[in-house]
Amino acid sequence: MTTVRVGELHKRFGATVALDGLDLEIGVGVTGLLGPNGAGKTTLLRCLATALAPDHGRIEAYGLDPADSRQRTALRRRLGYLPQSPGLYPNFSAAALLGYVAVLKEIVDPRMRRAEVHRALEEVGLSDRANVKVRKLSGGMRQRLGVAQALLGHPDLIILDEPTVGLDPEQRMFFRTLISRLGETRTVLLSTHQTEDAGALCERVVVLREGRAVFDGAPRALAQLAEGQVWRSAGPPEGRTMYWRTAEGDYRTLGPQPPDGVAVPPSIEDGYLKLLGPAPAAGTIR
Amino acid sequence: MTWHVDAELLQEYERGSLTPSRVMAVDAHVQACAACRAAVPADTARLDRTWLAVADTIVTGRPGRAEWLLRRAGLPEHRVRLLAATPALRWSYLAATAAVLALAVAAAYTGQSAARTTLVLFLVFAPVLPVLAVATAYGPPADSMHEITSATPMAGPSLVLWRATAVVGPAMGMEMIAAVASPGPGWWAVAWLLPAFLLCVGTLALATVLPLARAAGLLGGTWLLVALAAGSSAPLVQGVLFGPAAQAGYLVAVIAAIVVLTLRRRHLNPGENR
Repeated sequence: MTTVRVGELHKRFGATVALDGLDLEIGVGVTGLLGPNGAGKTTLLRCLATALAPDHGRIEAYGLDPADSRQRTALRRRLGYLPQSPGLYPNFSAAALLGYVAVLKEIVDPRMRRAEVHRALEEVGLSDRANVKVRKLSGGMRQRLGVAQALLGHPDLIILDEPTVGLDPEQRMFFRTLISRLGETRTVLLSTHQTEDAGALCERVVVLREGRAVFDGAPRALAQLAEGQVWRSAGPPEGRTMYWRTAEGDYRTLGPQPPDGVAVPPSIEDGYLKLLGPAPAAGTIR
Repeated sequence: MTWHVDAELLQEYERGSLTPSRVMAVDAHVQACAACRAAVPADTARLDRTWLAVADTIVTGRPGRAEWLLRRAGLPEHRVRLLAATPALRWSYLAATAAVLALAVAAAYTGQSAARTTLVLFLVFAPVLPVLAVATAYGPPADSMHEITSATPMAGPSLVLWRATAVVGPAMGMEMIAAVASPGPGWWAVAWLLPAFLLCVGTLALATVLPLARAAGLLGGTWLLVALAAGSSAPLVQGVLFGPAAQAGYLVAVIAAIVVLTLRRRHLNPGENR
């Protein structure tokens, strides 16, 4: 079921076009936004989170139009948002910070608010850090706290801008579990540079480039874009193409078959690079 | 475990009719014996509530002085949370307060140099500036959580006005003292503060019967219309709009607005729309 619709969305920052007539429909589940820096991922998420107004175009989420102030407020009651730089106040304790955001989310009854704060802390595994100041939390824990504030009030639409950036594998695994659980019943839209996260988490992947969607489909379909173009070889390929030396000492090539190349199954990263990577003439990735 | 609590003893334990020493003995046994522990019926809902209350007491801790004072002043707990967070947002609060103080000092110097027209314009527009100063102070440059705040239902004029009140209120108190101690035009330097405070509190009071945006537009618009109409005449502005009688009227209106706000606080929607 479609819960979020975006039509002909435009946004410029001076001479820079961030969104260039973007069309998108999103439903319940986890949808991943991929794309290079400056592709428009954060701008799209900010527009959907009602933190930024688009120049032109339509947004409709759960039947609500954020261009109308009443509907915008109604939409804000149904969304949770983790920005790229959450800027959590360092001198607040984890529980106090969530309590503060809970007030901003109109959870005004003290008992309900406390229960909600405890629930959110528990959901992200920070119950034992409730009284710890934000500045004393590790980067991963701060990121968890950022997600916890987004989960306050049981939002239907959860928008997460690079939630796994800078996290160690253990923390990333924790986030994968959490986000996939959220996606069972809610609309989760996340941006990431980690193609393996997108592959592991998202039922659907949208790749943005220069403010437009250049791919929209399942992660497997993204990987298939590089089908028959990924090779392993003992030596480096000739000519200019994308290749790198693997930990095993052989070479993985994306592009034309090297002389001794053996075809290997493509990953999502291969598909992504094939879609957006530089043309062979542009240089070699080592 | 070689023995267990018999049924009769267990019933007395549940009823709470045992002597303290026997309760302690049964407590010690029940803690060690899973079978007897299972035989004691547990009110899990009550246990959860108790545990939540205990955890809450540990986590929440004692309220700060500002929070305690605001609660004593009768503000709802959630409003206190928002306002008490203000000093913690150090840079935002300082920037907004500094802006208010700078405006007052500017007025004092302008008055001393007898630049009457500048003073008149300043006095007309100054009351609406604190709200703008607060809106700027809590924007992206000063408030690191602005992005999160802006996506919450409470973002908007309501939050701005509450914070404006939090900033203008203490600043007004400080300026009153500063004005008494200052040479020169004296209370002219603070003449705009009372109308500014009235605009903030009055808008909130009016927002208990009207949508907040309409209340803000109505009061702010009326102020600007009256002030600009009177602005053609410096003596009129200084004498009538900011004179002693007007100031006394503003004070009465502020008190009335606070009373209305206190009595009708339940009608004030925390969101930006009603």
